[in-house]
Amino acid sequence: MSRFTLIEATGRPTAAAPAPAPRRALDRREALALMTAGVSLAMAGCGRPHEEIIPYVDQPEGLTPGISQRYATTLPLAGYGRGAMVVANDGRPTKIEGSPKHPFSLGSTDVFAEAEVLSLYDPARLQTAMEGSLPSSWNGLDAALLPRLAQHKRQGGQGLTLLTGRITSPTELRLIKALQAAYPAMSWRRFEPVDDDSVRAGAMRAFGRPLTVRPRLQDAQVVLALDADPLGPGPEQIANARAYAARRKPGEAGFSRWYVAEGGWTLTGANADHRLALRPDAIADVALALAAALDHGGAHPPLTPEAQRFVAAAAADLKADAGRAVVLVGRSQPPEVHALVHVLNAGLKAPVDAHAPVDPHPDGHMASLQATVADLRAGHVQTLIVFGGDPAYAAPAALQVAAAIAKAPFSVHFSEHVNDTSVACQWGAPLSHALESWGDLRAPDGTASLVQPLVRPLYDTRTRAQVLDALAAAAVRPSARDLVCQTWATQDGATGAPRVTNAQSSPAAGASRGPGAGATTATVGLTTPQSGRGASGLDEGDAGIDLNATAFDRFWTQALTDGIVANTAAAITAAPAARASVFQPRPASSSFLLALAPDPTLYDGARAENAWLQECPKPLTAEVWGATLAISPADARAHDLTDGDNVRLSRGGQSVVAPVRVAAGQARGVLSGFIGGGRRQGGPIGSEVGWDFAAVRDVANPWLSAVTLERAPAHGEAPHFQALHRLDGDARELSPEITLAALPGLARSPLEKAPEPPSMLPKAESWAPSWAMVIDAELCIGCNACIVACQSENNVPVVGPHEVARGRDMHWLRIDAYDVGQADEHRPAFQPVPCMQCEHAPCEPVCPVEASIHDHEGLNDQVYNRCIGTRFCQSNCPYKVRRFNYYGYSHDQAYGNMGEESVKAQHNPDVTVRARGVMEKCTYCVQRISQARRTAEKADREIGPHEVVTACQSSCPTQAISFGDLETAASGIADLRKEPRHYALLGDLGTRPRTTYLARVRNMNPALGTAAGEITS
Amino acid sequence: MAQLFRPGANTIARIIMIAIVVLPFAGFGLAYAMRKAPYSTDQGYTLDQPVPFSHKHHVGDLGIDCRYCHTGVEDSRWAGLPPTSTCMTCHSRIWTNAKLLAPVRESFAHNTPIHWSKVHKLADYVYFDHSIHVAKGVPCSACHGPVHQMALMNQNAPLTMGWCLDCHRNPGPRLAPKAAEFNTAWTPADAPLGAARAYLANRHIQVSHLTDCSVCHR
Repeated sequence: MSRFTLIEATGRPTAAAPAPAPRRALDRREALALMTAGVSLAMAGCGRPHEEIIPYVDQPEGLTPGISQRYATTLPLAGYGRGAMVVANDGRPTKIEGSPKHPFSLGSTDVFAEAEVLSLYDPARLQTAMEGSLPSSWNGLDAALLPRLAQHKRQGGQGLTLLTGRITSPTELRLIKALQAAYPAMSWRRFEPVDDDSVRAGAMRAFGRPLTVRPRLQDAQVVLALDADPLGPGPEQIANARAYAARRKPGEAGFSRWYVAEGGWTLTGANADHRLALRPDAIADVALALAAALDHGGAHPPLTPEAQRFVAAAAADLKADAGRAVVLVGRSQPPEVHALVHVLNAGLKAPVDAHAPVDPHPDGHMASLQATVADLRAGHVQTLIVFGGDPAYAAPAALQVAAAIAKAPFSVHFSEHVNDTSVACQWGAPLSHALESWGDLRAPDGTASLVQPLVRPLYDTRTRAQVLDALAAAAVRPSARDLVCQTWATQDGATGAPRVTNAQSSPAAGASRGPGAGATTATVGLTTPQSGRGASGLDEGDAGIDLNATAFDRFWTQALTDGIVANTAAAITAAPAARASVFQPRPASSSFLLALAPDPTLYDGARAENAWLQECPKPLTAEVWGATLAISPADARAHDLTDGDNVRLSRGGQSVVAPVRVAAGQARGVLSGFIGGGRRQGGPIGSEVGWDFAAVRDVANPWLSAVTLERAPAHGEAPHFQALHRLDGDARELSPEITLAALPGLARSPLEKAPEPPSMLPKAESWAPSWAMVIDAELCIGCNACIVACQSENNVPVVGPHEVARGRDMHWLRIDAYDVGQADEHRPAFQPVPCMQCEHAPCEPVCPVEASIHDHEGLNDQVYNRCIGTRFCQSNCPYKVRRFNYYGYSHDQAYGNMGEESVKAQHNPDVTVRARGVMEKCTYCVQRISQARRTAEKADREIGPHEVVTACQSSCPTQAISFGDLETAASGIADLRKEPRHYALLGDLGTRPRTTYLARVRNMNPALGTAAGEITS
Repeated sequence: MAQLFRPGANTIARIIMIAIVVLPFAGFGLAYAMRKAPYSTDQGYTLDQPVPFSHKHHVGDLGIDCRYCHTGVEDSRWAGLPPTSTCMTCHSRIWTNAKLLAPVRESFAHNTPIHWSKVHKLADYVYFDHSIHVAKGVPCSACHGPVHQMALMNQNAPLTMGWCLDCHRNPGPRLAPKAAEFNTAWTPADAPLGAARAYLANRHIQVSHLTDCSVCHR
């Protein structure tokens, strides 16, 4: 032992011996001593660890450890709500699913909703109030803020400014109204990074009053999108995608046809039947030409022959389908184009709904922020309260928001994270996450729904309503829940009329005797289970059962259970006649245009701290951890640029350096990028990832900025997935496409390779159930919701940019993008690729330990505890769907702060957290199959035809994924496999995959040519 | 020239040669036996508990049903340990001053849970579900043994994968009639001859399916 310590002493320099002695080689005795010590330690460590069981002291009613619960709630995106059904395991929210009754969820999710559960557990969240960079407390903030507010109250609110994002929450709006009553001269400003300024201004111009006009895409036979991206990210993505999918099913009446004119690729453009690449500032010319073709206007500037042909074909189609045709315009277009399109739509009798704006703030977002900055500069603001958001990062740099905030004598930022605005403000204070909060939100159509907490706040945070309520500085502070109850007890959200006539349910009674009774002081978790399996002891029983329940109680329980407040959608009004407003086109510009759009995975950048979203591939490019600028091949040639070359974009003395990517199908003169990158204060995950273009954004139209472009030295690149899976061969064979015209003549799928190649493997036994999946490639819009859903359900780790660059991504499901266009036409094609669950699986015979093995239901199981990590299966898999844990990605070596304790709380307890050295892959959510099987067997019945829903399937906004039992006719899977469009990926290999596809369908306008090389019967 | 080796050297050489062949096998055999021995599996070991709860007294003497405390056993993966409030349903009235029960009273008074030592430990990658086993007629005693005789709980079965598979390959003989499932004194010998096949048929158990990896591992 003394020798042992000697080695220790020489190995570790101490203060007494600063210079370590040169290490000498071990002699025999020392080696033996070390070996013995090692062996004895190893043996001592062999015993199984002592484990404890810690039961409740008093178990909540309705909660059984080991049985997951589902609660309906609402998640915010850009101030609007999307319904969600959240799965909680033993009090931990672990998975977000869609809320079937909510009109903007429809049972599906998007990437942002799926990832919210990771944001909840983000260790980098703001956990306490901060004074500058020093931790303080709510009491400290109250002590500093309340006396100031009292002074403002005496001055009638003079010098007080409240800066918020978009607010649709009835409770928050009620509290802001109360603030405006208490501080009459207070300015309420509103800035949302993804604004709708030109949309609102366009409606104002056309109708003379603020009006929201939303298309009914499910009724639209012909759609022309002018730089609009209805299928792209945003609060309406799910609803739009579902409506799009409703008319993209061949065989059913009315297969829609989509025309898109746009500068850079969007999801809408990628899924269109005809797409025209066009500078966004030339869209106005197209709109004028369209107006002329639809008999609404006179002259228009000359178009290119290609654009002329496109407009003529689209106009003819729109006219022919008047009543079922609609034109859409994007947020980057000026108000006059929006106004003109309102006129065109009125002429086409387009299927659109008009209603009063759900966001009641009268000002434009940018104008509101500019006014705030002007007030701050002029010294009119004594106290600035920034409520959520991050205007210091999100606004164009020309506004110099951070510098303006510094001019306020007192500023406080309420936020979930520390960001640029928090740093600019003197105080920061933590807001609760939506999954910890009571609240309410409205969907873009006005439908209200409640936000109910799934868990008590993890840190010392306050809900949004609590913060607004505290600003009123009243003596009594109701609980977070009562604040919401009070809103709904007093008014019907839609009409403002008193909702509850029951005398017992005056606002005060509703709050004290109603659902909050007994729990009024604390923000309580777990209240009304969706399943109606009995309340958890905090509510007073189910609606209709409790005879003492007041009308309000019943209303409240119903709203929580349904996930929406019934009959709150905004009333559809007849739009006043749109005024004809043909305008003079702006002179054509020749400078480069920087066209920005919300990031498909980060949106406005507020979610940059979410590692799932950072590692979620951007559609089409498959870039992760940042997104480069797209440039057209012609421009790239002119400037001698290739993929990854840096360019300097300059505008008004400011410049940004970012790498470019040459994108076929990009319009000339346009650089397309995303906002939301390059966060300076993005925590351990989101800081300095990607590029921030705020410096060169135009305040007048931040979505389109004229810039000058020059080559910059050095090289930059975002890591991406797809190159790793670039397969040789004909894209059209791997991802086939059929024209709608050719479809009726197609009897049996010509895509299926007829004779099955001989195999030495035994024919797979057929058992009931035999699980199979069919993915309709036509319906896949490439939104990536399934990828994040799979990650969330199956404990798929994040690996970080460096590992991704080495080809070590871990996603079990990927969406391959192919370019199936001919010659100079580019047509992207999306193809989701999970494990194929081959009946003759090439991975199985090569596994030396039978870790890859078939079960009796046709699943290709991966037994993690058997796997020894030879990776033979990965080499032998023709679909490349197997993923290997080169490091302990889920454990201590996780990227950033992903290995921390709070993140582990997200893990699905039904799925193994895989260790280092283990191969993993999709198993059709075998835990869900097993759950359904056990439930069915306990009830002594068969598994229902749609009882098993995989995570990817449940998330899909277009319902492109079908899953079920091949042997049960009711599941419909066997029928889908007989469709003429049915094909198997690499089917000629004889792997007999259980995951198969339906080919994409293109509804071409014959006037614009026929697809070359199309498949006909 | 004197002999280099004494006569006994032959014997030693033979022993060494035999040992070279036998010892590796013996070592392997020992390791194999050790793997299944109670030393490795913890079978039969008793752990210290914060309260020396006696199943012998509560089940054997008083006849309390398993489900009175283990409420989740028919619905959930976990049978569930009773919350302190369950203990206090009786012990707020009887043995109210017993020294042994001080931790229970303290737990209830201060709202701090009791930390019990876990006796039956399965590997983390096994997804065992109590409810389906109960539904299919596996009696408590098949895994937990004669609980009514245990003064302190111990692990009755080895809980190895081989032991699980013994039953998953041929569950019939171990199943109990519905009425006897929660009778810890029930043993397979109590079943009438030929009952096994009837149990399997009545409960719709597909035996071939039970050895799929995905049944227990995911």
